[in-house]
Amino acid sequence: MPNHPRNPSDAEIIRRIIDGDVNPFEHLLRKYQDHVLRIVKKHVPYQEVEETAQEVFVKAYQALPGFKEEGGFGQWLSSIAVRTCYDFWRKRYRSREVPMSDLSENHRDWLEKTLSNQSDLSFNERSHTEEAREMLDWALERLSAQDRMVLELVYLEGLSVKEAAGLLGWSVAKVKVRSFRSRKKLETLFKRVIST
Amino acid sequence: MKKLQHKHEALRRILRGAYFEKEHAAVGEQWQVNAMRRIRDLGAIPSGANFFLFFEQFVWRLTPATCALILIFAALLFKLDFTPEYEVFTSLIYDTEKVTLTQLFGL
Repeated sequence: MPNHPRNPSDAEIIRRIIDGDVNPFEHLLRKYQDHVLRIVKKHVPYQEVEETAQEVFVKAYQALPGFKEEGGFGQWLSSIAVRTCYDFWRKRYRSREVPMSDLSENHRDWLEKTLSNQSDLSFNERSHTEEAREMLDWALERLSAQDRMVLELVYLEGLSVKEAAGLLGWSVAKVKVRSFRSRKKLETLFKRVIST
Repeated sequence: MKKLQHKHEALRRILRGAYFEKEHAAVGEQWQVNAMRRIRDLGAIPSGANFFLFFEQFVWRLTPATCALILIFAALLFKLDFTPEYEVFTSLIYDTEKVTLTQLFGL
């Protein structure tokens, strides 16, 4: 059995995997599982997280021969994770499996209060996360897969347009346009809720 | 206008909070075992994949050079080959008998 260093670098592990040894991939999986889960949990529904995370690692394994060391393995894996989440929503929307939830009166009240009451903002932030999450899910369900991903990455996560473009593999111009449109759509959706 | 912007910023902050809250959802341990099983089922990465990847990378890199070569050859063909063909064609049209006899007797 060949001698391997105790803490081999990612590049060394990848080289061994490409040479035909599957087992070292487990090391990469353990090292980067939290990183991938953090991304996947934010983008797909809770019940789909495990399956999607598996998919990310399977795709990464298959794409390993094309991995270039610029930016590091973590960055490369982030990009695969984001694109896998995007593929998830594309398939979902294509098969029209997205359940459209309705908003209750509580949600409308919450939105109105949030937009009107500035002095009580700290109270809202702390206590109304549940309403905010449901409200966010409700709005995101009504956006296309592209709008959804861009809105999540740029508007919610706070990534720059360039960073989001790199993760999604799109042009900066496309992300810019999508970001603007999706934000407008979100505003329209919320305005409609308040006006009804 | 400024007030409206402020309101939207407040809403954004709350939505961001809800968005990042999703990170804390607990996930079971079994998915790693399943992921590794799926990867082992795939087997070792075939060495042929390297060749195709290498080929694919080079095909795209060589595209501009290939297009330039095609244009150059097309221009050369147009310049060198088109005129003689045109001359042969006209000689066949206007001097059919002579050409045919010359060809026949190998003169």
